Amino acid sequence: MLQTDRPQNQNLMKIEAPVDGPWREATRLFMRNPSAIAGLVLLGFVLLVAIAGPWVMGADPFEIRAAPLTAPFSEEAILGTDYLGRDVLTTLVYGGRATLLVGAIAAILSVSIGITLGAMAGYYGGRVDAVLMRITEFFQVLPALLFAMVVVTLFSPSLVTITLAIGVVSWTGTARLTRAEFMKYRNLEFVRAERSIGASHARIIWQVILPNALPPLIVSATLAIGAAILFEAGLSFLGLGDPNQMSWGLMIGSNRQYIFSGWWAVAFPGAAIFVTVLGVSLIGDGLNDSLNPKLRER
Amino acid sequence: MAIFRTILRKVIPFALVAALPIYSSLVFAQAPKRGGTLVVGSTQALRHLNGAVQSGLATAVPGTQIFASPLRFDDKWNAQPYLAEKWALAADGKSLTLNLRKGAVFHDGKPITSEDVAFSIMAIKANHPFTTMMGPVEKVETPDPHTAIIRMSVPHPAIILAMSPALCPILPKHIYGDGTDLKIHPRNSVDVVGSGPFRLTEFKAGQRVVLERFDKYFLAGKPYLDKIIININPDSSNLMLGLERGEIQMIPYATNSTELKRFASNPTLNLTNKGFEGIGALNWLAFNTAKKPMSDVNVRKAIAMTIDKNFISKALHGGFSQPADGPIVASSPFAVPDVIRYPLDLKKSAELLDAAGYKAGANGERFKLTIDYLPGQDEQQKNVAEYVRAQLKKVGVTVEVRASADFPAWAKRMATRDFDMSMDAVFNWGDPIIGVHRTYLSTNIRPIVWTNTQSYTNPKVDDLLNTAGGLLDPTKRKAYYATFQKIVTDELPIHFINGTPYHTVSNKKVLNVPTTIWGPVSPYDEVSFK
Amino acid sequence: MGTLRYLISRLFQGAALVLAVVVLNFALVHAAPGDPVETIAGASGGMSEELQAELRSRYGLDKPLPVQLGIYLRQVVSGDLGYSYFFNLPVSDMIADRVPATLLLVVTSVLAAFLIGTTLGVLSARRPNGLLSQSINVLSLVGFAAPVFWMGLLLIIFLASWVPIFPVSGMRGIESTGKGWGDVLDVVHHLVLPSLTLGLVYLAQYSRLSRAAMLDVLGADYIRTARAKGLSEGVVLYKHALRNAVLPVVTVLGLQFGNVMAGAIVVETVFNWPGLGRLAFESVLRRDYPTLLGVLFFSSLVVVVMNQVTDLCYRLIDPRIKTS
Repeated sequence: MLQTDRPQNQNLMKIEAPVDGPWREATRLFMRNPSAIAGLVLLGFVLLVAIAGPWVMGADPFEIRAAPLTAPFSEEAILGTDYLGRDVLTTLVYGGRATLLVGAIAAILSVSIGITLGAMAGYYGGRVDAVLMRITEFFQVLPALLFAMVVVTLFSPSLVTITLAIGVVSWTGTARLTRAEFMKYRNLEFVRAERSIGASHARIIWQVILPNALPPLIVSATLAIGAAILFEAGLSFLGLGDPNQMSWGLMIGSNRQYIFSGWWAVAFPGAAIFVTVLGVSLIGDGLNDSLNPKLRER
Repeated sequence: MAIFRTILRKVIPFALVAALPIYSSLVFAQAPKRGGTLVVGSTQALRHLNGAVQSGLATAVPGTQIFASPLRFDDKWNAQPYLAEKWALAADGKSLTLNLRKGAVFHDGKPITSEDVAFSIMAIKANHPFTTMMGPVEKVETPDPHTAIIRMSVPHPAIILAMSPALCPILPKHIYGDGTDLKIHPRNSVDVVGSGPFRLTEFKAGQRVVLERFDKYFLAGKPYLDKIIININPDSSNLMLGLERGEIQMIPYATNSTELKRFASNPTLNLTNKGFEGIGALNWLAFNTAKKPMSDVNVRKAIAMTIDKNFISKALHGGFSQPADGPIVASSPFAVPDVIRYPLDLKKSAELLDAAGYKAGANGERFKLTIDYLPGQDEQQKNVAEYVRAQLKKVGVTVEVRASADFPAWAKRMATRDFDMSMDAVFNWGDPIIGVHRTYLSTNIRPIVWTNTQSYTNPKVDDLLNTAGGLLDPTKRKAYYATFQKIVTDELPIHFINGTPYHTVSNKKVLNVPTTIWGPVSPYDEVSFK
Repeated sequence: MGTLRYLISRLFQGAALVLAVVVLNFALVHAAPGDPVETIAGASGGMSEELQAELRSRYGLDKPLPVQLGIYLRQVVSGDLGYSYFFNLPVSDMIADRVPATLLLVVTSVLAAFLIGTTLGVLSARRPNGLLSQSINVLSLVGFAAPVFWMGLLLIIFLASWVPIFPVSGMRGIESTGKGWGDVLDVVHHLVLPSLTLGLVYLAQYSRLSRAAMLDVLGADYIRTARAKGLSEGVVLYKHALRNAVLPVVTVLGLQFGNVMAGAIVVETVFNWPGLGRLAFESVLRRDYPTLLGVLFFSSLVVVVMNQVTDLCYRLIDPRIKTS
């Protein structure tokens, strides 16, 4: 759909449309986007099950319920049992908590670090930028998964160490993005105006530029959640998750050896991760589309 | 008359000749077919191939093919000639004379002499983790190239079992005697020169070991196999599939009940639980007797009474394991049935805890405990730990199952006594002196895993064990061990759960799968294909 | 000549980066709880305190940390990566042994993903709301959201077990000799599932990226000019637009190399592929510090090199771009 074959009055129609505030406009666009809604629904469902599920079920996911590797759709276990005889449905319901918690907090951590460092680099420029860019490069060169594995193993795996490890290796993308945005904004008219009236650097960074730079950062943060969830799942799969917490990755990892005798113990937890990350990604995409409406006209 | 003569002269010789193939095949039916490659599946990576400085099954499976030992054993605990044709334990038990066979050579062609035997035994004494095995050995005399006399400071009957393939590999002195520390000797995995039926042709660290027949092996005609490939794959499901597809022909030390069930129902496969009597593997629950409340024997007994071993064997292990009731594994000649047992009795357990002063609080909880377990063997270890947690809840003890990320993390916990109770799996290793004493002697309370990490101290037990270790008469020894077993099951530093259900799974085409007391950690020189 | 000076300065920066990574990991590994000697003791079945002390002094573990670091750095610079605690074999040998396998896996996956992904993306840009475009959207979401190890396991179940077309694990058959054309075919046969698993994520990403970039470019002025001039669609697409559309993909390709290594660890573990990723993973579990540090060093080196190569390609594709 190229601009060339659009009649002139298309642009006219746009001007006549009611003008909302940018956020309201973004929300409206978001709500009109079917895949974004789908994402919200998926994520909402997952959150509901993860939060309310354990409370409703009141079972112990580690408890041995029936014979090992009972097939799904049997009367003992709707989704079957795993290699130790634990109910797969229970582990699905309880496993979400660790994964979502780690994913959310690690994402918050990595985005916070990324925004802070990126803002400072982009705003101050010069020496500060050079130093921070070297640091960013360093963390980008560091093999992320391997480094996280080393940290987690050496300091013994727990929800805390895993969250920290993931957060510490994942911030470089957000940092670069923030830096690019800040570099765009710092020389604009209204920013220079603020400086000329004596606003402090901190105020300019956090209260003037950041709100404007927020849209791509929000998208990045959403995708960071998805990435953190996958990261945690990967660590748990490799056996480096918190072994005292039931998580989806742990289920897949510990049942890996029995996939030929019981595919359900691996398939269902993986599907849970997939649905969660899919939901998050769809929301991220939807946010991207609604916050960057220019692209939508194509 | 003429007819009879014709028959005698013509038909019968003809018949005899015609029948030749039949009885020749009868006579030669027993001779095994030469040739073939045996692929053995293993999930454990091995560090190197020198069993003189390294214990463990992973090293021993290839190690016992590459290195021969003075003696080998049958399935009835009887010693058989191997590198030694004859042997004699002196009447006072303080020396063992080995008469080596003549004409045996190493893989590089050099002859195997008593010098090599002496060197190897002293090297094992200096380097092997099992210190009690060659502990009393003072020196090895070599009056002539085919006689070695092991001199010991005290009577040490265990020396016979210490001559087994897995425990006493004979190394070439001319290779290993160059002064380099044996533990890091480069020839441990590269260019290995051994004394056994197979030579090393390839060692790919963490992936596979390839062995080929040594054609100058001292037992003429053997080994029958051309090649052995040990395929290392940490994922046992892949090994299982390989076995079912015929790419792998043997998996020793299989324990998982799901896999075993699957193997048992496969018509191309053979399953046997014979061959593990020598190793004597026990699964048990160890208590840290130096810590409260585990220091109180009544608390330990109360815990023992909440555990239903039959349920564990039948339900958790799919019926493949057998409950164990004592420190010496049931298949050992020294095991006795007269031990103290603790049948499931939740009521009595609660009463014992009350009497011990640990009454339940308002929320029904008496006290908290942690339980650890050896990682990597979930069905034998983690499962049981979870079961114990659920059971102890019923008598008001809250248990937290602490998982260790990997073996070093768990070993550290045990070594530093950072545990209340822990599941563990320990081997008897044949003679109790080698693998049993180390757990109960008060002199062996050391900051290392698989010593007396329970901090168990009983001078009477020390006495019994030390005396039994020096007696030559097996009947007398057994009497001492009987008392020992009764005391230990009464004082309960450890509650024994089950014998680890090791099985060897093999393709039916494999004949003579090793099922002596040492099973897969003995030479495969008699294994062949159909 | 500006390029040369640029290259040299980047080279130094790269070396500094790699060394910094080594220092960090060295510090981490040695400052954390968990003594490698205890691990070796456990792995060899138990060891007396005297033997442990002897090992500690042999490995230099009783020296102060800065001294150990200095020794290690000196060794690394001279190419000596030490000996594995577990196997007692030279680390450089072990790495050299495993690199080809990982290289094969990674290059195949990324190359296939790049070629197929970019093609799909470009094709779908012609009709942004068509079926192909929508399918790519879906595919890319699946590729991104599905955990790599889950995809791998599912592929094994479907294509190696239920319909046994492909082998379950490993790089070669068990009894293969490793020589000849038969071996090449054998390896290719084993390569399909792992590279499919590893490549899927990138396939998804590249197709989206190239589609977006293509759409971006196609809306630009000079394209309208080209069209107005009457040039055929083919020429418009491939000669003018493609070149510029490929740029973001190339950037991402280079920058992502670190991620590819991470993916390789997981895929190699799932498929028992004898590469660096699995070696790294197993070294972590065994506390085999020399091997672990060696692999970290090597992979950082590779990432730095890839970054430089990407930069170079960038400048080659679009000479208008100057260094920042």
